[in-house]
Amino acid sequence: MRMTKIGRGFLVAAALLFVLPFAGFAQSGEIVLKWPCIWVGKDSKAPAIAEIVDNFNKANAGKIRVEIEPSNDYNAYEQKVRTAIMAGVAPGDIFTLKLNASTKEFYSSNLLMDFSKDLTGEWKNSFDQGALQQSIIGGKLKTLPIETAVLPIWYNGDLLKKAGVSKIPQTIDELWTAMDKLKAAGIYPSSQMSGDTNAWTSMIWFSWFATSFGGPDVWDKPFTDKAFVESAKLMKRLFNDYTTPDAIGASAGVSGGHFLAGRTAIFSNGPWYAGRADLRATSFFPSIVIAPVPPAGPHKNIIISRLQANIAAGETKDKARHDAIITFLKYLTSKNNMAKLAESSGSMLAVNSGYVPTDPLQKQFYDLVGKGYQTANDLEAALGAEATLEFTQQLSALALGKITPEQFCSLVEKKIDR
Amino acid sequence: MKRHNANRYWIALYLVPIVVLFGAFFVYPLFFNIYTSFMKWKGSSEMTWNNFANYSKLFSDDTFLLAIKNNVIWALSQGFIQVPLAALIALMLAREPKGWRVMRTVYFLPNVISTVAIAMVWVALYNPQYGFINAILKLFGGEPRNWLGDPSTALAAIILTTVIYVGYFMIIILAAVMDIPKELYEAAQIDGASTLQQELRITLPMVRGTMVTCMTLAMAYGMRHFESTWLMTGGGPAYSTTTMGIMLYLKMDALRYGEASAAGIVLIVLGSVVIVAIRKIMGNKDPMAEAAQ
Repeated sequence: MRMTKIGRGFLVAAALLFVLPFAGFAQSGEIVLKWPCIWVGKDSKAPAIAEIVDNFNKANAGKIRVEIEPSNDYNAYEQKVRTAIMAGVAPGDIFTLKLNASTKEFYSSNLLMDFSKDLTGEWKNSFDQGALQQSIIGGKLKTLPIETAVLPIWYNGDLLKKAGVSKIPQTIDELWTAMDKLKAAGIYPSSQMSGDTNAWTSMIWFSWFATSFGGPDVWDKPFTDKAFVESAKLMKRLFNDYTTPDAIGASAGVSGGHFLAGRTAIFSNGPWYAGRADLRATSFFPSIVIAPVPPAGPHKNIIISRLQANIAAGETKDKARHDAIITFLKYLTSKNNMAKLAESSGSMLAVNSGYVPTDPLQKQFYDLVGKGYQTANDLEAALGAEATLEFTQQLSALALGKITPEQFCSLVEKKIDR
Repeated sequence: MKRHNANRYWIALYLVPIVVLFGAFFVYPLFFNIYTSFMKWKGSSEMTWNNFANYSKLFSDDTFLLAIKNNVIWALSQGFIQVPLAALIALMLAREPKGWRVMRTVYFLPNVISTVAIAMVWVALYNPQYGFINAILKLFGGEPRNWLGDPSTALAAIILTTVIYVGYFMIIILAAVMDIPKELYEAAQIDGASTLQQELRITLPMVRGTMVTCMTLAMAYGMRHFESTWLMTGGGPAYSTTTMGIMLYLKMDALRYGEASAAGIVLIVLGSVVIVAIRKIMGNKDPMAEAAQ
């Protein structure tokens, strides 16, 4: 029994089909940089990123070409990055990650380029120094901060007015009074949630409370510290008295949905939420006021912020490729390009571009940052995925009265990897 | 003889793809999983030998024990509620009542709809403020509940949603019932057996093998359950709906690959135990196959 000519032809064709996609078609001498990118499709940064990459490719035609590999789903993107690193390959020549207590583990990998020697002089000075400092771990700078986020609370001014609240609360007592008035007017005071893996909007509230009780370095303390216990008590109060009936187990979509629908008056989220078309379409959009959570403890003038996106590069021994990556990153983070990105997306960037927003809501974020508050991380950024998950799960039990604030804190403490 | 040998080579050649695929996507990952379950490994760093620390950490974690309990509840509910319910519907449809073909399609339909879409519909139905279930409850004077937000109801609420997948096993059992020789029923009718007696004495014993297969499949699904719980509650509130699959995923999310591997091995072992147990208890005999011989 011999293989026919057709059979052999089929095998050759199959082999070619398998091999061809992996073959490079770069022009001779041109360095192609692959960028698995989340800022594509409907992402608010997509148009500016596409334009920046396009301009870079035109200016460096025949020498360097950046190719975006689009990824529309952030969770899938994160998994891709993790899986690639775990498998011992860099996810791309350029890629982004959220730098937090879990992902900082990647700094121990030799797959990531260390920018310490390249980031000097004017380029170094163009970065927000606080964000840059947060990105240095163990003396290594394996990611560059691109996007930062301040995480304030948002007030629906129309609903406050309707409830007879004439000014934004400045103290915690004023906040409770405002919430009582909202409740009396038949309005759910705040959007809370204990679902997803990070109880996002409620985690932001907790972070404000904890830092106001324990200061900006509160996350270094044991979670059984009084600062956390007191914060847990306030969270229980918010869940029991000042939120929607579906808050326990609710996802970020539900929490945000209540604010968007005008059912809740106070919400918490980052600046990217301001760019949502459905928010801009609401009648109350012009009345939105953003502000810090009034301090519940002795520490005032602290705002909660985080590194939202850092950019990383695959380590290479090829000097030409290394230089090409640095050339592109310098171009990407140039003042003009960062200003373009900030303007079109509404995001707050970690590069001092001199951009001054004109959009009133975006301006409120910039004004808040410009007030010179001391910054502190949120719980997730400070303590990582496992502690945040425990916080989320036990927040439901706390709100339902199944555990005490002390037990809540003790359970979270057990999951912190110190 | 030569031809016989040539055939053997071709048989071996035909087996190569499946052996390679099975080896690459099952055997290798399984052994790699066993290996990494004894390692301390955070993905990016070097693996270091960790003895049984990952396993001892898992078994000293109340949450993991709760996940095992939930998986067993899932397996039992799928095997002993879903399959008997499917059998009941199959027995009714096998009598070929008016419109039975349409009903057969309707029962099977949820199996071709995206799990995500169905989960989102259930989340809406269970919504404490605007959900249909609470609306019905209020209509009869009941108190609305946060079904998915209350640890005492969340697991049951999610398990209940799987009832709509009953059509999957119904189709399998229905096919087996339809294959039973009609002569057996005719003989029983001549002997004066009632419909119930016919079902109990002929149908159920004859489809026993199929039922055991369905129960095995259903319980295996229960042991590896992940999707709808992840979509509806993420394993919460307070871990009340968490499963070993969710724990494994979250361990990976927290870059604890050694612990995730250990959780995976526990899942495989427990799943195997459950399946072997059900086969032992229910038996492997298939009267239909025996009748055919």
